[in-house]
Amino acid sequence: MGKRPPVVVLSSSSGEDDGGGRRGPSARRSRTPASAPARSQFQAASGSKKKPRRESSAGRGRRRCSEPAASDSLKAEFDMLSEDFSECFDDLGMSGSIRKTKELWVDKYTPRSLAELAVHKKKVEDVKKWLEEMLMAPKQTVGGWTLVLTGQTGVGKSATVKAIAADLGADLCEWTTPVPTLWAEHLHANSGLRYISKLEEFENFVEKIRKYAMLCPTSTKSKRKLIIILIDDIPVTSGNAAFARLGKCLTGLIQSTQVPTVISLTHYHKSESNDTAMWNSEDLESLLQGAGAHKIAFNPVTTNSIKKILIRICKEEIYDAPEELLHQIAISSGGDIRHAIMSLQYYCLDPRRHSSALATSATRAGSKRRDSLVPRQESYGLSSALPSPCGRDETLTLFHALGKFLHNKRETNCDFDIDLDPFPLKEKLRRNSLKMDVPEKILSQAHGKVRTVTDFLHENVLDFIDDEAVDDAWVVVSYLSEADCLLTGSLFTSYNSENMAQLIAASVAARGVLFGNAHVAPSRWHTIRSPKLWQTEQSFRSNKDQVLKERFDCSSSCVSCNFSDIVTEFRPLERWIGPRNDEPRSSLLPHGIGGSLLVDKLDADGSLDEEDDDEIEEC
Amino acid sequence: MLWVDKYRPKTLDKVTVHDQVAQNLRKLVSEQDCPHLLFYGPSGSGKKTLILALIKQMFGAGAEKVKMENKTWKIDTGTRTLEIELAMLSSAHHVEMNPSDAGFQDRYVVQEVIKEMAKNRPIDAKGKRAFKVLVLNEVDKLSREAQHSLRRTMEKYSASCRLILCCNSSSKVTEAVRSRCLNVRVNAPSEDQIVQVLEFIGKKENLQLPAGFAARIAAQSNRNLRRAILFFETCKVQQYPFTSNQAAPPLDWEQYVSEISTDILTEQSPKRLYAVRQKFYELLVNCIPPESILKKLLAELLKKLDADLKHEICHWAAHYEHKMRLGSKAIFHLEAFVAKFMSIYKEFLVASFG
Repeated sequence: MGKRPPVVVLSSSSGEDDGGGRRGPSARRSRTPASAPARSQFQAASGSKKKPRRESSAGRGRRRCSEPAASDSLKAEFDMLSEDFSECFDDLGMSGSIRKTKELWVDKYTPRSLAELAVHKKKVEDVKKWLEEMLMAPKQTVGGWTLVLTGQTGVGKSATVKAIAADLGADLCEWTTPVPTLWAEHLHANSGLRYISKLEEFENFVEKIRKYAMLCPTSTKSKRKLIIILIDDIPVTSGNAAFARLGKCLTGLIQSTQVPTVISLTHYHKSESNDTAMWNSEDLESLLQGAGAHKIAFNPVTTNSIKKILIRICKEEIYDAPEELLHQIAISSGGDIRHAIMSLQYYCLDPRRHSSALATSATRAGSKRRDSLVPRQESYGLSSALPSPCGRDETLTLFHALGKFLHNKRETNCDFDIDLDPFPLKEKLRRNSLKMDVPEKILSQAHGKVRTVTDFLHENVLDFIDDEAVDDAWVVVSYLSEADCLLTGSLFTSYNSENMAQLIAASVAARGVLFGNAHVAPSRWHTIRSPKLWQTEQSFRSNKDQVLKERFDCSSSCVSCNFSDIVTEFRPLERWIGPRNDEPRSSLLPHGIGGSLLVDKLDADGSLDEEDDDEIEEC
Repeated sequence: MLWVDKYRPKTLDKVTVHDQVAQNLRKLVSEQDCPHLLFYGPSGSGKKTLILALIKQMFGAGAEKVKMENKTWKIDTGTRTLEIELAMLSSAHHVEMNPSDAGFQDRYVVQEVIKEMAKNRPIDAKGKRAFKVLVLNEVDKLSREAQHSLRRTMEKYSASCRLILCCNSSSKVTEAVRSRCLNVRVNAPSEDQIVQVLEFIGKKENLQLPAGFAARIAAQSNRNLRRAILFFETCKVQQYPFTSNQAAPPLDWEQYVSEISTDILTEQSPKRLYAVRQKFYELLVNCIPPESILKKLLAELLKKLDADLKHEICHWAAHYEHKMRLGSKAIFHLEAFVAKFMSIYKEFLVASFG
């Protein structure tokens, strides 16, 4: 207990070989305020409170700590971790500048002036212009005081506002979420802690700033104080009721505020957010815009500007990072500058580390080069075994993945060396190698539901098959039919095997589509339709319910009949001999029905439906 | 009242088409007790008629006083409570229902509902018929799980309850259930029998039937007695005195399927396949069972097909009918059949006409 082994970071720095794939340490650590001054304050504050724990936490051995260690064991652990982090700097004997500051570079290199921003000049200009206008605008105008910034994480939404505020010399009022009382705490602690939901707190806050805006004296005709309100942290709501409350609250704010207010909304990746039933950022966005807020959308930061920033940081840190490493980091960050800086700092910790990053990128490039000769599995194995240690997980939208499958891009040169191939295939079974990752990988990146993927493939694949190739159409459709059987079979089996069967079904569907479509239609623009199957099923269900209900109303004859008999025999003849043949019935004949039933507007799946018209390019 | 119901034989004595089966059934129940029964045969052959007549034979007129209710069953599955609404027809002595209407929750229905019903053993002072009869329709549409739980229920409650199962194809009922029942095969009536029935009805209704009229309807009905009577009544409504060449209007969905078959035979391409899919959707929306669509489509295609191909096409139709049963989205399999047909047919055309 006394001698604490160096815990996380050290082990990962020494045992680089096994932990190369983990990008965890830097990212996880990012939340802990590891800067030295903050830590010592923290300890001082906590140390005074809880005396009895002193021994135990001291026993844990804060070796390097100068002040008497006294804190809650949990806090000690927290300190330990943050200390580890700083210790890591020391142990590695990095250049002096790092040791001195012990600060996250993300904090250290927060843009302080407009020039330092990595965001596109024009966007910054837009935001600045808006803010200037608002700050100059006369107080009495109602509405139009709100700006909504949208964009992915780490594209510099807040940073832009802060930098502009500093530039204009305006005060920035932020809503910092108060430390919450946990529900469990509220339940168990007999202390006077009261549970207030985040949403409630936010409402209170909004109420306050609205009042403040009213109070803010217009009488002081002298130079009025420049104030910008920044709302960065909108509470997460679940369920319609809570969302409606939040919406009401925000709408009220937008309509009544008389201080320039900036709301920054983070766009989550669609596929990431759809499984958790969280609030929909897009709903919120349209709501805010509906209420009269001005919107500026931020794009992901370009690779070049990330690189520029990284180079600048390296220069200031006197750290000599190879160009290729920076490039790699910039690309894999996916436009998230915060992540890029974090990765850079992580690499700068250990000079050995970046060599591995480069090695990975080299294998990647290598595998790309010799693709036509090597079977794809092998290159897949390589790239999956050594994922880029600094990258974010790549995600594809479902439509991107579908596009890949449907367009079915393959190498054109067929210089397959048949003699070398240990298992020569028949001519008609042979296909050129794919110009993409392995289908399973694409599927996992797109993480859509398997059912959805097969339905989409089924709906759209026929468009992509050459008009002469009916055989191909059969192969494709028969694979989809197999996939359907697999999916159905998996419904009742145990959880794990269900998962497996689902994966297999997805693989069968995707590969079937790729394999079967041997004669791809000449490429052109296609619209991906949403499966009509969903509509059909829904109206089938409602029709069936109706028929079953009617079975009750009409004469006793039908009651005992089978559903299929009613549909195939009684109903078609009902016009003439039905119990209600006197009144003109809107016939439900297949011919007559046309669109009328289908038009019933059935959103089978709202989240995907709106993307029906997503045109996909060849990708 | 539809003629189908009006002229349904109410007792086993009056059954004309399957009089042999009816006699045997009467002998069976005269021995106080009867085993579980499984009636199977094509639709419109008289299974339900026999069942109703049998129940009347067992319990007398009391079984005819049926009431209909839409009962909601609350079923506790352990993690949550399901509510299943199911229509049923019941008298003091029997209950009739259609568990497959509950869709994929059918196994709960079979397990719980039947269990509950079987527990409520009717009390008869004379101790005469101390069991209830439970009529289950469309047993072949039940999922495999439901059929398994049906088997268990049958064994457990056989003392208090007799099951009469009714289905079109016994091959879709598990062996376990089949072996616990007395299987009664109900054939489709022959065309002559249908003609007899139609003439009987015509006489009762005081209608003049032109020569060959009943035979034509019988031929059109495809040996389905219910359909024949419905057609007959339709003809009557359309036009009475019958003209000599009058025929019943074709069923619209069947006509639609034959249009589809024409589509398929005229062009074989992915584009046409897509068009066919839209037509299938139309049919499915109107609740036409996919099995019927496939069957009718096959019949239509076979009509116009070269003899060499018939065997292969039938094979594939059977293949995809099976797949349809295994899978859950019928359209995938229907379409696969059409695609396969197109592929075979196109190859054939190219081979024979160049």
